[in-house]
Amino acid sequence: MQPVEGAVIAAAGLGSRLGLGLPKAMLEIGNKTILSRLIETIEPVVPRIHVVVGYREELVIEHVARWHRNVVIVRNPDYRTTNTAWSMAMGARGIPGKTIFMDGDLVISPESFSAFVAKAARTDVLVGVTRASSEQAVFVRTHARSAEDFEIDEFSREARSEYEWANVVSGPSNLMDKVSGYVYEQLQPRLPLPAFALELSEVDTAEDLDRTRAFTQRLSG
Amino acid sequence: MRTAYCFDLDGTVTTTEILPSIASEAGIAEEIATLTRITMDGLISFTDSMRLRTLILGQIPVPRVHEIIAQIPLDAHLQRFIAERSDDCFIVTGNLDIWIQPLLDRLGCRSFTSNARLNGSRLVLDHILDKGDAVKRIRSELGFERIIAVGDGANDVPMLREADIGMAFGGVHSPTASAVGAADFVVHNGEVLCSLLKAL
Repeated sequence: MQPVEGAVIAAAGLGSRLGLGLPKAMLEIGNKTILSRLIETIEPVVPRIHVVVGYREELVIEHVARWHRNVVIVRNPDYRTTNTAWSMAMGARGIPGKTIFMDGDLVISPESFSAFVAKAARTDVLVGVTRASSEQAVFVRTHARSAEDFEIDEFSREARSEYEWANVVSGPSNLMDKVSGYVYEQLQPRLPLPAFALELSEVDTAEDLDRTRAFTQRLSG
Repeated sequence: MRTAYCFDLDGTVTTTEILPSIASEAGIAEEIATLTRITMDGLISFTDSMRLRTLILGQIPVPRVHEIIAQIPLDAHLQRFIAERSDDCFIVTGNLDIWIQPLLDRLGCRSFTSNARLNGSRLVLDHILDKGDAVKRIRSELGFERIIAVGDGANDVPMLREADIGMAFGGVHSPTASAVGAADFVVHNGEVLCSLLKAL
């Protein structure tokens, strides 16, 4: 049993597929930023939150200073030449133990996130997956271990499957250190790994934005 | 690995700014506020600003300054953090030793400050601290292998850059853009800052 001590939210990137001139975490859904929604989901169940900033960092810093004064900002001035895994490794500095790493463009159901945190405490590395919904997803092939538990056997860009990689993973705070490439590629050599099905919506494209709005409405309804 | 923690004083460890508090006493709060603002924004050098402030505030008797400074509130979390590891903590401030000595006594750690002395009733400025130099000295002369610095203003930039880890702290007011630009972390709460410092 090792409780989760911190969460790293990667919000440094350009979000170039949307191209709105804002970090994706700063997009508003129902008058509230994705970042605020994410922080409010995490806050009740995780003691420390680190947000990694880069692209238009001043917007995120001002937002956090105003609304989320307990949140730590970690700067990645090299965001243009580094990837998400690098930002996540930077962001985990100063978190002493088990850490959840996640993208800053997610809206997650609070209930499913709490359940993820509870299970993460009992699992060395726990990989978040979600029902496959997007075209460019990283799909995961899984197998059941028991009625409640299932494991990931493979990540794949090609082979469509029931679940996709959710860009949420928990593990030791050095999990993302010395990574080159994508976050899931770092997990590949460790497979099979326990998986957890999260209820969430990710914003990569304009279509995703509409889908995420509908998802958010369902959550609050 | 031995780590030194360097803290700016005004608006970082203290929850109100010291010089403006002294200025209110002399009825020149607005003048000093203007000077502080243009200094924080980097429009005039810290050295020039300190000379002007010394000239203006030097008219107030030092014992009166000490009385005012005795009332200055400190961030309780930072004060406890420093008290618990006073051998490894340093106050690094451009403020004058002759004014802030009672505050340094309260904090009980070592310090790097600007220096002034009284010549009769006149306050004479001897040395203005470059905070980057202070960090270099802590590393080379005092044997600390790693330095973490915490500050909020333009004059903290050399300290934040010279340190291994720099923290822009906005406990009282937002850190200046220049301090943020020189920092690795930005933190807005004293309790969170201390928990982060302990874990790094």
